[in-house]
Amino acid sequence: MADYPSIDPSSFDLIVIGTGLPESILASASATAGKTVLHLDPNSFYGNHFSSLPLDHFSSFLQSHSHCHSQQPNISPPTSSSNCLHLKHNNLFSHVHISNPHSEYLGPSNKFSLDLSGPKLLFCADPMVNIMLKSGATYHIEFKGVDATYVYRGDGDDKLMTVPDSRSAIFKSSVLTLKEKRQLMSFFKTVQEHILELEAALTSNEEMRRARTISDEELECPFIDFLTTKGLPSNIKSIILYAIAMADYDQETPLLRKDFVIKTKDGIKSLALHNMSLGRFVNASGALIYPIYGQGELSQAFCRCAAVKGALYVLRMPVTALLIDKESNCYKGVRLASGQELFSHHLVMSPSFTVPLSSTISSIRDVQGDSSESSSRSDVEGLVARAVCITRVSIKPDLSNLLIIFPPRSLYPEQMTSVRALQLGSGLAVCPPGLFVLYISTMCDAVAQGKELLHAAMNALAHLLSRKHESSTTMESDCVEEDGPNFLWSAIYVQELRKGSSEIIVSCPTPDGRLDYRDMLDSTIKLFHEMYAEVEFFPETEDAENAENDE
Amino acid sequence: MALITQTYLSLLSFWSTLMARTGNKNIQAKLVLLGDMGTGKTSLVLRFVKGQFYDYQESTIGAAFFTQILSLNEATVKFDIWDTAGQERYHSLAPMYYRGAAAAVVVYDITSMDSFIRAKRWIQELQRQGDHCFLTILFIDLLGNPNLVMVLVANKTDLETKRKVETEEGERYAQENGLLFIESSAKTAQNVNELFYEIAKRLAKACPMPPTGIKLHNETQGGRRLFCCTG
Repeated sequence: MADYPSIDPSSFDLIVIGTGLPESILASASATAGKTVLHLDPNSFYGNHFSSLPLDHFSSFLQSHSHCHSQQPNISPPTSSSNCLHLKHNNLFSHVHISNPHSEYLGPSNKFSLDLSGPKLLFCADPMVNIMLKSGATYHIEFKGVDATYVYRGDGDDKLMTVPDSRSAIFKSSVLTLKEKRQLMSFFKTVQEHILELEAALTSNEEMRRARTISDEELECPFIDFLTTKGLPSNIKSIILYAIAMADYDQETPLLRKDFVIKTKDGIKSLALHNMSLGRFVNASGALIYPIYGQGELSQAFCRCAAVKGALYVLRMPVTALLIDKESNCYKGVRLASGQELFSHHLVMSPSFTVPLSSTISSIRDVQGDSSESSSRSDVEGLVARAVCITRVSIKPDLSNLLIIFPPRSLYPEQMTSVRALQLGSGLAVCPPGLFVLYISTMCDAVAQGKELLHAAMNALAHLLSRKHESSTTMESDCVEEDGPNFLWSAIYVQELRKGSSEIIVSCPTPDGRLDYRDMLDSTIKLFHEMYAEVEFFPETEDAENAENDE
Repeated sequence: MALITQTYLSLLSFWSTLMARTGNKNIQAKLVLLGDMGTGKTSLVLRFVKGQFYDYQESTIGAAFFTQILSLNEATVKFDIWDTAGQERYHSLAPMYYRGAAAAVVVYDITSMDSFIRAKRWIQELQRQGDHCFLTILFIDLLGNPNLVMVLVANKTDLETKRKVETEEGERYAQENGLLFIESSAKTAQNVNELFYEIAKRLAKACPMPPTGIKLHNETQGGRRLFCCTG
C-alpha cells in the first residue's frame, strides 16, 4: 500500500474528486468565491479525461479506463456515526484499438502530449475564453491559432476546400463562382444587420425592434430552412452549417431528431461567435485557437487558479467511500484510501465514479420535483468515437495546424454526422518536430457506426497524405501499407457521454463530442449555481493580472 | 482596435531598435520556486520584489506570480516569478508549473535537515520534468546554450544558532549537480538581490527564447467589424 499523507485540516466547504476540466473550473470558481476547497485526484497527473498525456501513458490510460478492465471496490468497515457508500469506478472508454505499425519513427514517448478527448478547440470569443480571462487562467497558458479550416468534398479534384469565413476569404476563394460570392456576402450582411439590431435592442429598445431583418418566427425555424429561403446553394449551406456553425448532425435529413435541429437563432449565434472571434487577438489569424502543450493545460490552469485562491491539492489520493450521516441520511464526507475521513458541505465528483444509489439516501438539498432526473442520472447520453493518429507528413505541406470538416454524406451516403479532424504540429509542443498528430471524432449511436465513420475519415486522410507523398517522394514505399498506410501510430476508441447532475452530490459531465467547450461550460455553470445559488460565478474583478504587482 | 494594435506594434519595434542601438538585450524569463513548505520561498520573492518581510508570512495564498525587472549592463531581464501556490504541500505541482522555465530556485531551510533532503528530491524532480517539458530546453539546446539555470538556496541564515545543515554540505551537493549555491536570509535581506542578479547575469548569457504563443488579454475586444477581412 502506498504511503498516503495525512491531510490537514479535515473539514471543508467543498471536496472535489477528480481534476477533469469541469471539476477544476468548479474548484476554481468556489475557491474564488471564498469557499474552502479540497481537490483530490487518484491519478498522479491533472486532468483525468481532459488531460494530455505522453504516448505510453495515453495508451495505458485508455486501456485501464475501458470496459474490459474492472476494478474491485475496496471494502472498508462502517464507522459508528455514519454509513459508507462505496464508490464504483466508471469506465468511459470501450472498444479501444491501438495500432503501432511504425513505432520506430516515433521517438521518446514523453515528447508527445496527446489529448484524451480531442479534437477540441476554443473560439477566440468563446465564453470559455472569457471565463479564463476572468479567473486568471490565461496567465498560465499560451495559445496558437489554427491556420486554416477546410471542408472535405468527396467529389471533385481538390478534395479540401478552404472555408470562406471572412470577407477576404470569400474574395480570394477560387472555388466559389462570382454569383456564389455575391450570395454569401449578402447573407453575411443580413446576419450582420440582425446582430447589430440585437445589440441596439439591448441598449435602446423599442424603435429598433420594429424593423427587424429577421422575424421572430424565422428565428425559431430550422436554420437550414432559413439558409434555403436566402437562396444559398447547397455547397454554401453545407459550409455554413458544418464548418462555421459546427453542426454535429445532418440538418438536411427529415429523420433528424428534434433536439438536434439547429434553430435559426442558434445558427446565427454561432455565426456571430465565429465572427467575433476573427481578429479578437493579435496574431491569431483565424477564429480558433489551441493551447500549447495540449488541452490538458486548461484543467491545470484552473487548478492553479484555485490553489492561488487557497484550495488544497492532493494528487495520488483515491477516495474509497462516501460517508452518509446515519441520522439525517445526508452526505457528510469522504473516506480516503489512507483510511482518513474528511468532511465537507458539498461534494463534486468526476464522471469516473458513480455512487451506487440507495433508496434510503435523501438528497442534501430539496430536489424540487425533478425526481424524473434521478432515474436517468447515470444513464449514457450517447457515444462519441475518437481517433488519434500520428503522421510524418502534413495534410497541407505549408501549414501544420488545421481543421478538416467531413460534413454529413461527404464520406458515404449514410453518413449522418459530421466528422472533424484536427491536425496539430510540433509548434504546439504536442509531438516531436517532423511529426503531426491528428485527432478525429464523431458522434454516433452505435459503436460499429462510429468506428465505420472514423475508418472512412482516416482512409480519406490517408489518401490525401499519400498524394502528398507522391509529390515529395522522400518516403520509402514500404510505409504505404494496408492498415493505416500513412499512420505511424493510431488509437481508435469509443467514449460514453454523460451529462452532469446534482442529486445527492454534484457529478460532472464527461468530455462531450462538440468541437468547443461551450456546452461543457454551460453545464458546469449550472452545477455551480445548484451548489451556490446566491454566489456569482467568477465575478468581475478589476484587473486580477496586476493586482499582486502594483499596489 | 486596429489602431491600438498598430501603435502597440510600432512601440514594440521602437523598443527593439532602441535595444539594438544600445547593444542591450531584452529578456523575459520565467523563474520557478521549489522547495518544501515553510522554507521561505515566498518571503525571498517578496523581499526581492517589494523589499518587504513578514515574520509570520502565511502559506502562499493569493498570488499566482510576481514580476520584477532587473537592468544589467548587458541586458534587461524581466522576471516572471511563479510561486507554488501551495501545490507543493502534497507534492501536487502540475507540469505546467515547470514548462518553459528559464530558471529554477530550489530553497531549503538551514535549520531543517528534512527540508535539505527534500530539496535534493525537488532537484531530481526538476531534472525529470526538464526532460518532459522539452520545448524551451530543446530550443536552448539548438542554440548551443546552457539549459535551465538552477540555484540551490540555503535560506534563513539569520537563524545561525539553530543551523542543522552546514554550508559545506549544501555547497558540495550544488557543485556535484551543476547548480549555483547561495546562502540567504529573506529576513535580513542578505544575498537576496545578489541571488536574482546572479540569475539575471546567467540568463543574459544564455539568452532564453521568447515565448512564441498567443497570450490572451482582456483589452483586445475586436470582432466588432463584422465579417470583415482580418488580413
